[in-house]
Amino acid sequence: MRYSDPQLRDRLAAEYVVGTLRGRARARFESLLRYDAPLRRIVAEWEGRLTPLAAAAGEVTPRSRVWQGVARRIGGRTSHTRLAFWRGLAVTSTAFTLVLATFLGMAPRPELPMASVAVMADDKGQPSMVVSWPSMKDVREPHVRIKVLQEHPTMAAGTAWELWMLPRGQAAPVSMGLITTDVNQVMKIKSDVARRMGAGEAWGVAMSVEPAGGSPTGAPTGPVIFKGQCVRVL
Amino acid sequence: MRLTELLSQCALKNQRAFADLYGLTSAKLYGVALRILRRQDWAEDVLQECYVNIWNHAQNYAVQKSAPLTWMTSIVRNRCLDWLRRPQAEATGADYDIAVEAWQDDSPGPMEQLMAAGDAQALARCLQQLEGKQRQSIMLAFFHGMSHSELAGHMKQPLGTVKTWVRRGLERLKGCLSPEKA
Repeated sequence: MRYSDPQLRDRLAAEYVVGTLRGRARARFESLLRYDAPLRRIVAEWEGRLTPLAAAAGEVTPRSRVWQGVARRIGGRTSHTRLAFWRGLAVTSTAFTLVLATFLGMAPRPELPMASVAVMADDKGQPSMVVSWPSMKDVREPHVRIKVLQEHPTMAAGTAWELWMLPRGQAAPVSMGLITTDVNQVMKIKSDVARRMGAGEAWGVAMSVEPAGGSPTGAPTGPVIFKGQCVRVL
Repeated sequence: MRLTELLSQCALKNQRAFADLYGLTSAKLYGVALRILRRQDWAEDVLQECYVNIWNHAQNYAVQKSAPLTWMTSIVRNRCLDWLRRPQAEATGADYDIAVEAWQDDSPGPMEQLMAAGDAQALARCLQQLEGKQRQSIMLAFFHGMSHSELAGHMKQPLGTVKTWVRRGLERLKGCLSPEKA
């Protein structure tokens, strides 16, 4: 198909927005959209034309568990219904946290400097995700920091994103854990994985798409979509 | 413009603004998801995921040129259509009956609702100028997430005919809505 034909572009954009563009054609169109700004504009125009239709869908209040799930996933403690109550507390809460933290002997520490970093790219060489970690000797709770660079990462339903440490030599990848779609996240890792990463045993980090709950075998089973080499920066 | 303001607050990671945004928009977006997916549990899962995405990508909203609700609705609609792509989603999903007849001819119900919805008036007027079958096929596709083949099944027409209705209907809508012709 020739995606340069303006009439075809307009028709595909319209069918994409109305929803009749389906399956592989839809997936193909979405990957085009990522690199084709004018096409994104045509789609936005169609969304502007057709989305007012959604107003006729009628409003249905979702159950409270939906909000609870959202709040949990964005790491918030905000209660949607008891907001007014928390508003009053907000003024004092920062001071309160400081006091509590000092009392517990763990004053909020500045972010640890990252000692190693892996910039992961997709199969087209486009940087997609950055994984970095501090010197594992210095941390009480070993963790890696993950930053998603792609604009709209979407996790297909029923799947999970699993991060893998790629050891030097021919050794098999070691699971680091499952990540979320958050653009910025911190993931705790097990101490033995941390030890090996801290010792510079990893040459790279990869991410694969796995069934919900992670790889059932302990090795990557789904496609590896991002991969990058580790670089020591500190 | 309240929504635009809330979205920019969300980009600054203001959780309170996000809670307000949710309060103002979730019933609308849930209605949209429910129509397409026809199952409460699926619609809830999708809605939850979409709000997490909206929170994570609120900073991208500024570069979009669409209205906030349009942007958010498109996120939900696209996620719903992705969801229907799953093989296990094909066969089931009949919690909600589709009022197929509702969009046929000039039945007043939903169309009046649309007319009442402010910025949808021009669109409703243009829709009414379409042929009945063109309008019906566009509405069924948009609201209920029907593919061409599902449309053909529901409307008991050959695939090619249904495809033509959708395509011609969209072309005419665009012509009717374009400012030069207004």
